[in-house]
Amino acid sequence: MKTADDAQLAAFDARWRSPRGWLGFFTEVNNQQLGVRFMVTSLIFFAIGGFLALLMRIQLTVPENDFMGPQLYNELFTLHGSTMMFLFAVPFLEGLALYVLPLMIGSRDVAFPRLTAFSYWTYLFGGLIFYASLLTGTPPDAGWFAYTPLSGPGFAGLGMDFWVMGLALVEIAGLAAGVEIVVTILKLRAPGMSLRRLPMLAWTLLVSGAMMIFAFSVLLVATLLLELDRAAGFAFFDPDRGGSSLLWQHLFWFFGHPEVYIMFLPATGIVSTLVTTAARRPLAAYPLVAMAVVVTGFVSFGLWMHHMYATGLPELGLSFFAAASLMIGVASGIQIFAWIATLWGSRPRITVPFLYVLGFFFNFVLGGFTGVMVAVVPFDWQVHDTFFIVAHFHYVLIGGVVFPVFAALHYWLPKVTGRLQNERLGRWGFWLNFAGCNLTFFPMHIMGFLGLARRVYTYPEELQIGGYNIVSTLGAFLMAAGFVAIVVDLLRSVRRGPAAGDNPWDTGTLDGSMSSPPPIYSFLRPPVVRSREPLWGPVKHKAGEPALEEEALSERASAALHAAPSDWRATLATDAITGRPSGVQVLAEPSLSPLLSALGLTLAFVGVLLKSYLLIPLGLVLAVSFLARWMYPSSDYNRKVYSSGLAERSGLPVLLEGARSCSWWGMLCFVGIAGSAFVALFFCYFYLWLFAESWPPPDAAPPDPLRGAIAHAPLLLAAGAAWLAKRRLAAPGFSAARGPLLLLSAALAFTVLQLGLGSFELATLPFSPRDHSYGSSVWVMLMVVLTFSLTAALLLACSLARARRIEPWDLTPLRLQLQLTTMFVLLTALAAAGTYAVVHLAPRLL
Amino acid sequence: MKRVAKSGMGVPPMGSAVAWASRPWIGGRTFAATAALLLTGCHPGHRQSALHTAAEASGEIARLWWAMFIVLTLSFIFVMALTWIAIRRRPRADDSPTTTVRWQNRFVIFGGIAFPTAVLTWMLLDSLGTSRALRQPPEGLRIEVVGYQWWWDVRYPEHDLAIANEIYIPAGEPVVIDLGAADVIHSFWVPNLHGKVDMFPDYPTRIVLRADRPGRWRGQCAEFCGRQHAWMAFEVVALPREEFDAWLAERAAARAAITAAPPPASEAIARGKDIFFRESCHTCHPVHGTPADSLIGPDLTHLGTRLTLGAGRIANTDENLARWIIDPQGLKPGNLMPETPLDDAELSDLVAYLRSLR
Repeated sequence: MKTADDAQLAAFDARWRSPRGWLGFFTEVNNQQLGVRFMVTSLIFFAIGGFLALLMRIQLTVPENDFMGPQLYNELFTLHGSTMMFLFAVPFLEGLALYVLPLMIGSRDVAFPRLTAFSYWTYLFGGLIFYASLLTGTPPDAGWFAYTPLSGPGFAGLGMDFWVMGLALVEIAGLAAGVEIVVTILKLRAPGMSLRRLPMLAWTLLVSGAMMIFAFSVLLVATLLLELDRAAGFAFFDPDRGGSSLLWQHLFWFFGHPEVYIMFLPATGIVSTLVTTAARRPLAAYPLVAMAVVVTGFVSFGLWMHHMYATGLPELGLSFFAAASLMIGVASGIQIFAWIATLWGSRPRITVPFLYVLGFFFNFVLGGFTGVMVAVVPFDWQVHDTFFIVAHFHYVLIGGVVFPVFAALHYWLPKVTGRLQNERLGRWGFWLNFAGCNLTFFPMHIMGFLGLARRVYTYPEELQIGGYNIVSTLGAFLMAAGFVAIVVDLLRSVRRGPAAGDNPWDTGTLDGSMSSPPPIYSFLRPPVVRSREPLWGPVKHKAGEPALEEEALSERASAALHAAPSDWRATLATDAITGRPSGVQVLAEPSLSPLLSALGLTLAFVGVLLKSYLLIPLGLVLAVSFLARWMYPSSDYNRKVYSSGLAERSGLPVLLEGARSCSWWGMLCFVGIAGSAFVALFFCYFYLWLFAESWPPPDAAPPDPLRGAIAHAPLLLAAGAAWLAKRRLAAPGFSAARGPLLLLSAALAFTVLQLGLGSFELATLPFSPRDHSYGSSVWVMLMVVLTFSLTAALLLACSLARARRIEPWDLTPLRLQLQLTTMFVLLTALAAAGTYAVVHLAPRLL
Repeated sequence: MKRVAKSGMGVPPMGSAVAWASRPWIGGRTFAATAALLLTGCHPGHRQSALHTAAEASGEIARLWWAMFIVLTLSFIFVMALTWIAIRRRPRADDSPTTTVRWQNRFVIFGGIAFPTAVLTWMLLDSLGTSRALRQPPEGLRIEVVGYQWWWDVRYPEHDLAIANEIYIPAGEPVVIDLGAADVIHSFWVPNLHGKVDMFPDYPTRIVLRADRPGRWRGQCAEFCGRQHAWMAFEVVALPREEFDAWLAERAAARAAITAAPPPASEAIARGKDIFFRESCHTCHPVHGTPADSLIGPDLTHLGTRLTLGAGRIANTDENLARWIIDPQGLKPGNLMPETPLDDAELSDLVAYLRSLR
């Protein structure tokens, strides 16, 4: 009996073991490994970005300094800002989420392990493209928000292309991570972990992940439009050809403002976790805090004009945005007072991570207060684009994000490495960082009042701010020393720190129940959760909590998955709201495909960059084929899962479909991404229209509605056919595949028909996308519909191929595949209908 | 006409308001009256400051700032004190879990919702009030300012006057400044007088300035606009109405003099003018009444009275002008002006001609 157990344990262990050898490094998909890679890579970028900042501070120390020229300075602040925003803050939090989230919510891995790997590689390649601009000697120099027309083809050189293409890859990585985080939290929680028992860090990551899905897709659209202007001569942002210089600012800040909260919300989650642990009691006013987090997420999308008060927009509109900004202030107030209430009288132990939390309190409250000040319209007219703003957002980003990141680093490092850090060195690091941060940035408030504009490489002595600048530069070096102390501490502890034990901070969340470092599969047996802080002991059942029979269900599922299955990787899937076990989710195993498809995408982007247009289709084909290879379901695999008997033992389905499956939720997220991308395109079209003298321009007739209807209608038919096929397959007593086969073939035929007609329409448009922004926007929308159509055709072809021969174990996976395909075809049809209404009907009706 | 010629030779005409108002302000030989005016008018050291205000608009904003500063500083101290108490305080003996939860919820509702809502609502109302106070009907002298990489084209359409990198306004009166940009987005900012307004290549914006008193302030481009964003500054000079009128009249007289094309006041100026056209300066810089009419660089019609060169880079003196002609890229790397190699004699002739344009 014992040997049988040991054998099973060994088999389970082997199933999860990381692939070995140098090739293994590239096929790795495990969340812990990749989470650490994300964090290490982002910290390296952080060090680089910090070094660039030091150079800038040296230049600004005295007036009219000639340490460096204007070109280099402009390149430095562009790289510094972009690195810190895109290559450090978000990726670090993604890495932390990948590592900590499964430990906290009781899952063995994240929902889409191969997507994790894909996300990491695209992030890395994006960062490398970004810095490759140094090799050609042309770093980007238009600032991290790259305002057009300065970043357009007329004013910025090759460096800007590196910036755009590198950023686009990083955005794709961010989108992937967002989907990953959202689906993991919704579907892979421990049984019993209803949303009201979700750790606050997971709440913040859930909101932040959802925000990434919407915000990054708009930014992706914006950057691709900019690149079309730059590389293909389109006219979106060119005022001479009907484009708008301000359009970019709307698109960028629609992303840019939520971006701040995408970073800040998980940081507050970290603070909530650490405050709870330090106080050794549950977070005060938990429902209010969760509500504040969700409200912040929503309202932050209504704030982008916050950055555009000085653009001469009507004042009434600005007041609305000012009021929305204040709502965020209240939401932050709730969080701060909840932390104070939690700590009240708890006599917390002042550990190094908790010191960073206190530092966060000080810096973030200060930065938040200057934040509500700059939300005040007339005041912002003075301080906008001055060093006051520089001071404000560094307080928010360093105080509000970097300090919690450092806190998290100290807090979870013992979990990752199994070793404790040096308390003394940690305290030195904190005080250097705290003093350095305040010395660097506090004087900048005053400098801003005294006339120092942002992004100037030097300033005249007349401004009388030399003294403040000396203090500021000194502070920057203190911060650098603080970072060195952290790194030294980190490296020392990894090599020879004392053993940490399982729960060095006595935390109440599930991560404390693991050994340090945790096993690669995290949970040998899925935990069953009965309270918000499961390690602090169960609480009594209250009305409305899951009843006892559900708990029995949970226990049974948990026992069935003890060191099992060992033939494939799996974890428990639960209901998105109640946390009731709903199935056994299959998890992907190591594969080279994510790396290769990321490489293909990178190749295509480099092709755009180098204007070697052969590389683009080559790279895209490579990317798509490896993407297909990685996701193509294998019948053998299905049989293995189907015939394992796990379903009987656990009382749960093992082959999942519909809302029980992670893939279904992933597809829903993808629909969100595509939907917001389309809304962004529609917004561009109507925005340009609003400011155009005549739309379409006098020499361009809008495309013919009848031809457009003929070109787009087949997609509606395709969607109908796919939907019927899906229904036919879902019907009980289904036996023969003939019904769905016919319907699927019809859907495929309609889609291919649309591809042909749509391409013909695009090719025979009576205007060029290069002449006017009207042509550019119409062309891009039609092109995107065609791309969707092509993807839909590929998916339908796949489904058709799979539906031709169905074994019993393939039935559920096929159903799932059809559900996802139908979702995508429906989305395509909807996008086509929207595009038709916007492109063909609107100019004639409005 | 005679006076213009005299000015062109660098001899300062004395004794009239017109004369002193037209002199370069930097250069060391400022009149006592002017100095006194500037010293009493504003803090001479903070000519680009949002807190040393010289207008109702900037004053209102500064008042709003100080009000917010006081309220939020007190709030900051309050929150920090609460945090300190929270971590130092001992637990009370009668804290049971139920009473704690009830107390915590109240604490968060009062502290986290009611308190910020009160403060922020006050801020919003005060801000709306300030906005209303700042609203100005667009009436008064009209000026057009267009931002270029990296200088300012300044025009007085009602007076057919074009200057660059400095704006003369009558003190105590509103002036309506219509803003635009020629290439990328710039931003118009004179903090002592008002907040900033962006300038776009594709749609017009506007600001109404009103200096309370005569004085001189520095403005700067506030939106990053490329390599030399740092040196895209300008001067605002507010003069009493009669001096402003005299300044306008003198500029008009100078232009009339050029159109009348009198014999040059000196050989040097005549030679300098030839050099100006020989070296193709005119292909970028317009000079009123001459064939030079393409606006790529600043209008030089009144260069002799210009306060600074290179949009605030250096003071406008004979030596600095010579430096600028020889080495514009050394002084302001990246600007459009090429180096013009000239020998010393030619250079001094060209400078004499340019400085004669008043």
